[in-house]
Amino acid sequence: MEAKYDFARKYREQILQCSRCGFCQAHCPVYGSTLRPSLNARGKMLLLKEVMDGKLELSDELIETLFQCTTCASCFENCPSGVEVPEIIKQVRKDMVDIGSCHPAFKGMNEVLQKHDNIYAEDEPEDFERERNKQAENVYFIGCVGSYREDEATLATLDLLDRLEVDYTLIDEVCCSGVLEDVGYQINGDLVRKNLDNIYATGAQRVITGCPYCFRTFKNKPQYAELREKGIEIVHMSQFLTDFDLGVKTDKRVAYHDPCDLGRHCGIYEEPRDTIRKIADDFVELPHHHADALCCGAGGGVRGAFAKNSIAMARRRLEDAEEVGAEVVLTECNSCAHNLGNAKLRKQKFKIQNITEFVNELMEEAE
Amino acid sequence: MEIQGYNMPDDLYYEENHFWVKEEGDLLVMGMDDFAQKTAGEIVYVQLPDEGKKLKVTKKFASLESGKWLGKVFAPVNGELVEVNEELETSPELINQDCYGKGWMYKIDPSDKSELGDLIQGQEAVEKWVLADIEKYAE
Amino acid sequence: MDEKIKQSLIDIVDEGNYTDNLIDMVSYSYDASEHSHRPSCAVWPGTAEQISEILKLANRERIAVIPRGAGTGLSGSAIPAEGGIVLDLSHMNEIKEINFESRLAVVQPGVVYGELEKALAQNGFFFPPDPSSGKVATLGGNVATNAGGVKGAKYGTTKDYVLALQVVLPDGRITRVGSRAMKSVSGYDMTRLFVGSEGTLGVVTEITLKINPKPTATSTARATFDRLEDAGKAVTQIMSSGILPSVLEILGKHTILAINQNTDLGLPEVEAMLLVETDGYTKGETDFQIEKVIEVFHRNNVKEVRRAESESEVAELWQARKSAYAVLARIETHFVLEDVTVPMAKLADLLKGIEGIAGKYDVQIATFGHAGDGNLHPQLLYDGYDPEQVKRVEAASADLFQLAIDLEGTLTGEHGIGMSKAPYMKLEHDPVAMDVMGGIKKMFDPNNILNPGKMALG
Repeated sequence: MEAKYDFARKYREQILQCSRCGFCQAHCPVYGSTLRPSLNARGKMLLLKEVMDGKLELSDELIETLFQCTTCASCFENCPSGVEVPEIIKQVRKDMVDIGSCHPAFKGMNEVLQKHDNIYAEDEPEDFERERNKQAENVYFIGCVGSYREDEATLATLDLLDRLEVDYTLIDEVCCSGVLEDVGYQINGDLVRKNLDNIYATGAQRVITGCPYCFRTFKNKPQYAELREKGIEIVHMSQFLTDFDLGVKTDKRVAYHDPCDLGRHCGIYEEPRDTIRKIADDFVELPHHHADALCCGAGGGVRGAFAKNSIAMARRRLEDAEEVGAEVVLTECNSCAHNLGNAKLRKQKFKIQNITEFVNELMEEAE
Repeated sequence: MEIQGYNMPDDLYYEENHFWVKEEGDLLVMGMDDFAQKTAGEIVYVQLPDEGKKLKVTKKFASLESGKWLGKVFAPVNGELVEVNEELETSPELINQDCYGKGWMYKIDPSDKSELGDLIQGQEAVEKWVLADIEKYAE
Repeated sequence: MDEKIKQSLIDIVDEGNYTDNLIDMVSYSYDASEHSHRPSCAVWPGTAEQISEILKLANRERIAVIPRGAGTGLSGSAIPAEGGIVLDLSHMNEIKEINFESRLAVVQPGVVYGELEKALAQNGFFFPPDPSSGKVATLGGNVATNAGGVKGAKYGTTKDYVLALQVVLPDGRITRVGSRAMKSVSGYDMTRLFVGSEGTLGVVTEITLKINPKPTATSTARATFDRLEDAGKAVTQIMSSGILPSVLEILGKHTILAINQNTDLGLPEVEAMLLVETDGYTKGETDFQIEKVIEVFHRNNVKEVRRAESESEVAELWQARKSAYAVLARIETHFVLEDVTVPMAKLADLLKGIEGIAGKYDVQIATFGHAGDGNLHPQLLYDGYDPEQVKRVEAASADLFQLAIDLEGTLTGEHGIGMSKAPYMKLEHDPVAMDVMGGIKKMFDPNNILNPGKMALG
């Protein structure tokens, strides 16, 4: 039987490999916060199997589950059969968009990025009290969340870069648009071109990203291959920071939240911890850490499309912090910091910060 | 009164970013108005600062969010934040369900109640302001 | 779904706890078995009273009600075989009480096994039956299938630990059976009747479990054999050695080869591998026990024995056993996992018999399992899209069940009958037994609305 959809052409074998064991229920953050089997990885695979068998059609009725996945890859990480659920979901979403069936939030996001420079349709970025588009060794690429939702955190990162005497410049950045590939669309070529041109204009040999997602996009997507071909190094802030002697210490109990986009997706687990260990003697692992880390719930577009569930997932992650008595929960992803920050209850007294913001604060206090 | 489907009670004071204010004894109660809550969509997060926070008129003191929208809350008067609606921590959607009642957000101890006079009030003023905003947002 | 009935259900559980959405109906059509059937709707009840109202409604309207935990059952016990209302108990997930002095824990059926294990471990206790699906499976499901696990030989199965239950009967009456006392012989043992009844006699809404202090020391070893019979004989001799190991698992050759082909564990490619663990309160004690076991190995032509000297070595030795299911799951498009169980004296015969069946039907059968209580897991691997292979696998399965019965064993040690083994019930149970079991089902559920179509009993 000729496969009707691209997802079936590309992933038929994998989808069939799902043995319905249901072990993914122990890891899926969407399932964990809703207890609804249809939203779990297994539930999605069962639907796709029925579509492949001709029992079901792709339709609007499937939007609620096929577009509700943070692509955190915990399922894949623990699947006995090795089913690459996030990749399959991303392809299905493209098939859905092709037949005109898409979650309005994502359709909206695609439209916004055709008219605006960022996912929030904001017209005025903060200037962060700094000039943009100078000549410099490094470009610091903030990312949409950092620019428009976590401006305090971004300002702190920039202050830190200044304290460390890094030669960097901001640019007139636009959304890397990597997220569009995840939600059924394609990276926006115009936005890519703008970013590339603005980066080249600075003469920089390195791009430091504040956002793990921009990092993945620049590093892996073919649309940004030019960057890599030109020999421009791409690093995430957490990697860049390990080269520095920070010379500050805290005696607070510190825990670290592995962002999915740094950890499971890029294998960057130790660099952030190396930095934290330099500054904190009382570093504890959260109960779910490294490849077993719990997703904050913001990724894959879920914060925009299923905001309530997104925050419920973040709340669940914070229970881990309570369990180990952390006073500070550090991460290095504005999306995680924002969602976790929103979800934190007033009675939870710990702070949630990016490592850069925390280090900057320590340096400020030391002065 | 109702203005093009938006419920805007006559007896309230309004801050131009679409927050209502009313007197409750010596204090002021503040919340989001019907126009704003309908435009914003389902509220999923409301920032609840600590009690005792000093408020400076027209300065932002909190924020709230729906899926993708971020809204800033500006102090309508000078004063001190004395109470927040803790229900909003786990049920922010109360703002959508009952923005003038159960969805109240903050209680303020004003330095000078006469500052209320600077806010939008009265049928005529409210109608003019809302109609103008309806047009602005329609673009 | 009939509008009036839908409204009645919503009146009972509230709108947010009712669904007839397509995506939910598809999910609830399946569990971890090879069966599927669409329900009409699903509800998430929160109390026994709500379940009582639902069952009364079901009787009035003659609709099936199917209780469900995590849906990880391997026999189809949670499949809505005749449509109806799925009762998803996952919202009833509170650990109500842990009482160390009385050595008991009280849980709602939706509590995930792993959550209870975590709560008990913090205080030096454990709940011994430990199914490999423990990270996802619920205690309600464990009770429904009398779940086993790797500790069965020394510690028994779920039924040995259920002290009391609150149950909603098919007619909606709510009752309590059993006692918080550690033992009781007051009235008929209704508790034991409900445990393992796969949700066909009542819906369990509260479970009182006996809990054990967790032994603090273990000794672990792995033994390899060039002949299957030697491994089998070793196992049976261990049973009469005076030592009860806490774990005694077996891996067959096909399984070992599959693991080597799909991982870099580099296991020795032998006919059979045994993983043994002894537990106790001092290393001296557990070492003494494991030495005795190793002596038995040596009396049965063991090829090599490896003792774990460190925690990382323990993990290494366990890796093979833990990865078996996953590795085997990737080899073909489909598989059937059986759990035939025989008396210990017949274990070697079962192992040989399985090999024979594999050869006879030219079907890949990889075996691993709980050698310690005679419970093997032959995993039949095949291309489910090749009708010819499917036929051979069905024939091989039938032979497998017959073999187990011929060896005075049982069709299922821990997975349950459900739908998968219902056709074979008469191989194991004589007509009188079938008649009596059918009578019991009828007495509890005269309208056959609670989980119909299971166990060949309703």
